[in-house]
Amino acid sequence: MLITQESASYQDAVPPGGQPPWLARHRAAGMARFAAEGYPKRSQEAWRFTDLRPLTASVFPPAPPDPVAVDAATVAPHRLPCPSHRLVLVNGRFAPALSDIGVLPEGVWLGSVTDALRERPDLVAASLAEGEASLAALNAALFADGFVLAVEAGVTLEAPVEVIHYADMGAPAAAHVRNRMVVGAGGRATVIETSTGVGAGWLNTVTVVTVATGGALRHVQLQRDAAEAIHTSVVRGDLAGDARYESFSLMAGGRLSRRDIQVNLGGPGASVALNGAYLLRGSQEATFAPVVTHAAPHCRTDEVVKGVMQDRAHGVFLGTVRVHPGADGTDARQLNRNLLLSPTAWVDTKPELEILADDVKCSHGATVGSLDEASLFYLQARGIDPATARLMLVEAFAADVIDGAGLDEPIRDHVHGHLRSWLDGLEGGR
Amino acid sequence: MTNLLEIRDLRARIVGGRDILKGIDLDVAPGEVHAIMGPNGAGKSTLSSVLAGKPGYEVTGGSILYQGRDLLALPADERAREGVFLAFQYPVEIPGVNNMYFLRAALNAGRRQRGVPELDAAQFLKAVRDKLKLLDISDDLLRRAVNVGFSGGEKKRNEIFQMAMLEPKLAILDETDSGLDIDALRVVSDGVNRLRDPNRAIVLITHYQRLLDYIVPDHVHVLSDGRIVASGDKTFAAELERTGYAHLGSAA
Amino acid sequence: MSDLAMTERADAPPDTLDGLIKGTGDGYKYGFVTDIEADEAPPGLDEGTVRFISAKKGEPAWLLEWRLKAFHRWQRMAPPDWAKLNIAPIDYQASTYYSAPKANSGPKSLDEVDPELLKTYEKLGIPLGERAALAGVAVDAVFDSVSVATTYKDKLADLGIIFCSFGEAVREHPDLVRRYLGSVVPQGDNFFAALNSAVFSDGSFVYVPPGVRCPMELSTYFRINAAKSGQFERTLLIADKGAYVSYLEGCTAPQRDENQLHAAVVELVALEDAEIKYATVQNWYPGDENGKGGIYNFVTKRGACRGDRAKISWAQVETGSAITWKYPSCLLEGDGSVGAFYSVAITNNLQQADTGTKMIHIGRDTSSTIISKGISAGRGQNTYRGQVKVMPRAEGARNYTQCDSLLIGKKCGAHTVPYIEVRHPSAKVEHEATTSKISEDQMFYCQQRGLTQEDALSLIVNGFCKEVLKELPMEFAVEAQKLLAVSLEGSVG
Repeated sequence: MLITQESASYQDAVPPGGQPPWLARHRAAGMARFAAEGYPKRSQEAWRFTDLRPLTASVFPPAPPDPVAVDAATVAPHRLPCPSHRLVLVNGRFAPALSDIGVLPEGVWLGSVTDALRERPDLVAASLAEGEASLAALNAALFADGFVLAVEAGVTLEAPVEVIHYADMGAPAAAHVRNRMVVGAGGRATVIETSTGVGAGWLNTVTVVTVATGGALRHVQLQRDAAEAIHTSVVRGDLAGDARYESFSLMAGGRLSRRDIQVNLGGPGASVALNGAYLLRGSQEATFAPVVTHAAPHCRTDEVVKGVMQDRAHGVFLGTVRVHPGADGTDARQLNRNLLLSPTAWVDTKPELEILADDVKCSHGATVGSLDEASLFYLQARGIDPATARLMLVEAFAADVIDGAGLDEPIRDHVHGHLRSWLDGLEGGR
Repeated sequence: MTNLLEIRDLRARIVGGRDILKGIDLDVAPGEVHAIMGPNGAGKSTLSSVLAGKPGYEVTGGSILYQGRDLLALPADERAREGVFLAFQYPVEIPGVNNMYFLRAALNAGRRQRGVPELDAAQFLKAVRDKLKLLDISDDLLRRAVNVGFSGGEKKRNEIFQMAMLEPKLAILDETDSGLDIDALRVVSDGVNRLRDPNRAIVLITHYQRLLDYIVPDHVHVLSDGRIVASGDKTFAAELERTGYAHLGSAA
Repeated sequence: MSDLAMTERADAPPDTLDGLIKGTGDGYKYGFVTDIEADEAPPGLDEGTVRFISAKKGEPAWLLEWRLKAFHRWQRMAPPDWAKLNIAPIDYQASTYYSAPKANSGPKSLDEVDPELLKTYEKLGIPLGERAALAGVAVDAVFDSVSVATTYKDKLADLGIIFCSFGEAVREHPDLVRRYLGSVVPQGDNFFAALNSAVFSDGSFVYVPPGVRCPMELSTYFRINAAKSGQFERTLLIADKGAYVSYLEGCTAPQRDENQLHAAVVELVALEDAEIKYATVQNWYPGDENGKGGIYNFVTKRGACRGDRAKISWAQVETGSAITWKYPSCLLEGDGSVGAFYSVAITNNLQQADTGTKMIHIGRDTSSTIISKGISAGRGQNTYRGQVKVMPRAEGARNYTQCDSLLIGKKCGAHTVPYIEVRHPSAKVEHEATTSKISEDQMFYCQQRGLTQEDALSLIVNGFCKEVLKELPMEFAVEAQKLLAVSLEGSVG
């Protein structure tokens, strides 16, 4: 049924210029794996809270290769308010006319997967792994394009890389996107991804990140997909000694979204910051699932994730911190806080620690609650109407995690802008 | 008179680091009060840690004789039961462990070692009452967990109170004056003075001369860059106050 | 049932008194075996075994049917695999499902109890005779599968309190048993609960009538003695409207090389304004330092706050067993009902524990507290697994969870797996957890005051567990403190 449909469409993913044999092998293996496993099931621990029916109930053929009328004006409102190296992918394929990669410093390669297959196939090959599970396996089989960033050792890319994933799929259709980011020893870069669009498409992305010794990558993902869209994404990161990966995720779009971020702290002194917020309303369903593995000593994890749920929305936080034997000097903090704004909104949270070393300092916390009545009253007593007071408190709750993410000013303001535009849509908006 | 403590050419470091103590010589006789002064980083706290047997330090040379025995051969708890007491610069909090319970366990551990009968709850309480008068400590402090939620001054007073209860032969007071206001300093000093005894030696480790206005030492030593570079009697401290440590450090 | 060829036999020849106590090793002081003639079912489990047990106990037809229904469900079920436990496959056909001290229909009073048994309980520090009177604790003792003595019965009866063996309750109070049996833990709740429902042998039964405050602690001591036998006791405790009862249970088992199965079910029912406090000190044989032998402790414990303002509190100190799988839970059905779970779990050597609780908030203004302290030493693996669920009707629900783990040594593991599921916006749920190794500064501070390394460790660990230990009745708390020290022997140095 569904699986066959996808098998049949699998030839569509082959780029016009054909593909190297190693890629064909990966695609075949991915398809075989997906055919065997199918979609994730709720009987699997990692998926028990996520209702995938919107995905499994329909058929999602590949999105049309020639996207419809999406022009510069369509994309303009989603752009960063500062200079950037910009790539736009429409329905999962690089759109050169809308992109402006600009001038890159020596030692930086940035472009689409299609171009990388010609110029730097090694970068694409490194984004594929044996034994990818379910949705990632399907992605391996079907990805049509994506973006690739490679920063060589010692190179700092000053301006942020901006990637806009725009979806315009009238009928249900899928875009599978595979991205690769690699930062060499001591290198630095910032990448801001925004996903948005119209229609009921499914965006399924896999991003593979490597940061070498002493390198640093800041990665912001702003998810503002269309109300009927589905967005599943996996980020796999591998950090060498003293490397740093700072991830900030805003999940505020789509009817069903799931973000898995898996970071392996593989060298001594590596550190990761995994911050984010899910802002949900209507009948949105979102799962944020960060998993950090401390495989080396003296690594650090800082994780603060906040959720706001209104109407019948359902938020899920599945955070895991694993500490391997020998990973002494581990310092890990994980915090998930949730705000429920309506009687029918709900949340499931599971902050998990799995510790197999003894010289560790790990803590986690989770809270669920509603707006503080005393604060509401205080604001009202100062003459602020209840609706505004509520919005102020919700904004303060969520803004805190944005401010704490250590983003530079134009980007931080840009993220705050997304928060405010989301708040504008809340019941009794400003 | 035989010495209680004889330190000879003591060299020590934090495990894996460079030598911090570079040849200390010091003799302490019963009944004496010695002050060891010196700038930050001179090795004062390392000396007190090595004397008490704190893990994480290694002795790379020299010797310490205590009551004629090799002190370095004893584990920390045995040193304590033999009468070596360290008043910590930063007393450690132990959540959930009642202060009184802790002290009784410590006291009876020492009594067992000496072959003296252990104190039962009533006897212990009586001993506590007697010693409480020494220091201005409220009953409430005794009912709380060891050092948990104590102010800086309360922690220091609790250290001296423990010293009073355990009646050590050699008491090392590591920066006991730090963080105390003048009233608390007076209370703590009075407590220590009352514990002066012909059979007990006290080593005061301090950065400031201030403490020595209240506890008058018999001997004053200056520790600089891991060595004792100058020694004198109680007037020496006042002299140091005027001249500072700098010229001594360079002279060494 | 005779056609099933069940035999009665006496196990092992009787011996001299000295021979009664066999190699107990150093650490585990309850590892002795009592040589006593036992009535046993042959190993294995089929419908015939279930019928044999029921017949042995002279049960009414309805209970046999209930057991058989559970057995048939169990046959279709699989053991749970979600816990962080490494369990060798268990051959359910190798275990013995019924072993009773051979004293025919059970003792009528303490005078009739086999003196050998009384000695056993003395050795365990359990007062059954005069000492019970002094301690003011009413005791029910369960030896292998059978309740052997219940003290203080008459005094309790004057207040209308029923405290007896489960078997006796089935005979004397069938209506109460029928009404509540399986009402909190349904037969098919899980694999081990289904198994227990089919083959449970005995256990304790308590009923406290409306408005009665039970004047003494009620207590059951469980002992597994026979080799290769499992123990499947079933405890049912009902506090009627406005009643109060505090209940303690303690467990020990002989030291044996093979693993033994303990799959108990405990059901608590608290009606309106009733309060139940249930404390466990579990010290089943944990196996030796190489992980050989030890009890598999797979227990289902659940309490239902059926009425408004009902309260149920679980307190447990888990130091024994090779493997512990146990989640004492509260169904907070009544409005304003209150649940609590206080737990200390220690794993040393190769012990594994996956334990925690479920707090299911169903009624309005329900509240729950969870305090869990896990201590891992040696190669022990210790998992806290807890669920806090706030149902859509549970307006104003509150939960506070604190779970801390202490690590002693490089080869152990500590895991925290909380599930928080909230379906009502007025709920307030807070969860905090920390994991850290034992503090070297604290150890040194204690040693500097003259305490040995072992005493320092014991002191710090007891302090770490303080919030839980203070929830135990006094005599239990003292015993628990000693157990903590014994359990950690050899974990430092």
